[in-house]
Amino acid sequence: MSLYDELGGAAAIDAAVDIFYRKVLADDRVSEFFDTTDMEAQHAKQKAFLTVALGGPNNYTGKDMREAHKHMNLNEGHFNAVAEDLIATLEELNVPQAKIDEVIAVVATTKNDVLNL
Amino acid sequence: MADIIFEGRVYTCQPGESVLDALIRQGCEIASGCRAGVCQACVLLMDEQEIARGCQQGLSPAQQKLNHFFACQCRPDATVHVRRPANAGGRVSGILRCREQVAPDIYRLYVSAQMDYQPGQYVTIFKDQTTGRSYSLASHPEESSSGERLLELHIKQHESGALSPWLCHDLQPGESVSLLGPMGNCIYSANPQQPLLLAGIGTGLAPLLGVLKDALHHQHQASINVLVGATEPSGLYCTEQLLGLAAAHANLQVEFLIQNNRNNQALDPATREADIYQYCAENFPDLKGYGVYLCGAESFVGKMRKQCFLGGAAMADISTDAFIVFG
Ligand SMILES: Cc1cc2nc3c(=O)[nH]c(=O)nc-3n(C[C@H](O)[C@H](O)[C@H](O)COP(=O)(O)OP(=O)(O)OC[C@H]3O[C@@H](n4cnc5c(N)ncnc54)[C@H](O)[C@@H]3O)c2cc1C
Ligand code: FES
Repeated sequence: MSLYDELGGAAAIDAAVDIFYRKVLADDRVSEFFDTTDMEAQHAKQKAFLTVALGGPNNYTGKDMREAHKHMNLNEGHFNAVAEDLIATLEELNVPQAKIDEVIAVVATTKNDVLNL
Repeated sequence: MADIIFEGRVYTCQPGESVLDALIRQGCEIASGCRAGVCQACVLLMDEQEIARGCQQGLSPAQQKLNHFFACQCRPDATVHVRRPANAGGRVSGILRCREQVAPDIYRLYVSAQMDYQPGQYVTIFKDQTTGRSYSLASHPEESSSGERLLELHIKQHESGALSPWLCHDLQPGESVSLLGPMGNCIYSANPQQPLLLAGIGTGLAPLLGVLKDALHHQHQASINVLVGATEPSGLYCTEQLLGLAAAHANLQVEFLIQNNRNNQALDPATREADIYQYCAENFPDLKGYGVYLCGAESFVGKMRKQCFLGGAAMADISTDAFIVFG
């Protein structure tokens, strides 16, 4: 069973997205990338990201990741900041450390695509 | 470059150009308004279902099934066959019953029209075949005046505007107007036990009033806090109506906030000079579990939405009616 299902599937993920989105918005290192007037669209993007990270149903490809982050000039510091915010989100949801490690392992595989390396 | 086949004739569409702009550029008389996929003035119908699907967000399921699409949002890269929907996409005719000035540049209009709606939704009003603007509904369908159900609109007049001066002055009671709608989802949908925060500035009060009436109509149980902001004291209107509702409902509290009381006018007890963002942050520091409704100028709605979200309100529990500027 994926962590996505364990957390309660699509319905529960909305609450997780809210927590995560609040964290990145409040994180000076990366908030500029998340602070837009179209909060609904941004929320949907975070939901897609968390769904991938938690192993939920998605058809996201490395190519999509690459395309979505292409013109953002992200560096390793940005990537790590978002990963930390994700860890803090999962801790807030009382996800056990072993599961958090699994999630971060999945996220790490997207690094080259996100940073367009 | 894609072609647009519109009513049997071929038009060109430049890369990145919308169907709406392409047709208007080549002399077609197409209705338009916001160019943002909000007012539905530009809605047309297309044979290419796949392409239509990508530009339907916000249309009703019935409209989507009929392959209606937003011409302002559609930038095709293949040839499309486009028509106008039957009966102008469902425009209805209304009659202006009366109009009163409620603030120096704000008018309250009552329009009789056959329309099923939910309070807080909006309609798009047309001055002629092609020029439309959206206005929100302050009325409740259960209200009636001498047996007639009227739509209540609050219109702020913009000096050189295409629609608002016409609605506020030129259109005369007894004359008819063409309306499209209703649309929008800033409507009362909270659970009765959920505390509510309703905040609006200027004529954002119109949809707020609609939502408030519906919450009271559904006997909302938890607290309801209404914050109404205006730049100056003279910009406040409907205050007696709101205070009357507050007096009749123990769970309802209404406050009026003036940004700048320049002339040191005496303010009644429900009114204070305060910055609405700051006031909200100080008085509602924890919005977890709240249902939040934000209405009025786009900049206000955007800033407040972020603030309320960071203050703990769930994204799904924040409803907005943002008065984007048309153009
Ligand atoms: C969903 C929705 C609901 C709306 N509900 C209401 C409502 O209930 N009541 C209401 O009064 N309006 C409402 N509006 C705004 C309304 O649709 C028009 O934008 C507004 O009346 C101006 O139209 P106009 O034709 O008079 O001016 P336009 O011809 O569109 O513009 C004329 C000039 O005025 C300027 N201008 C236009 N709007 C503003 C503004 N808000 N602030 C500063 N300058 C501006 C423009 O930049 C332009 O230079 C709503 C808008 C939307 C999208
Ligand atoms: S929805 Fe296209 S012009 Fe308003």
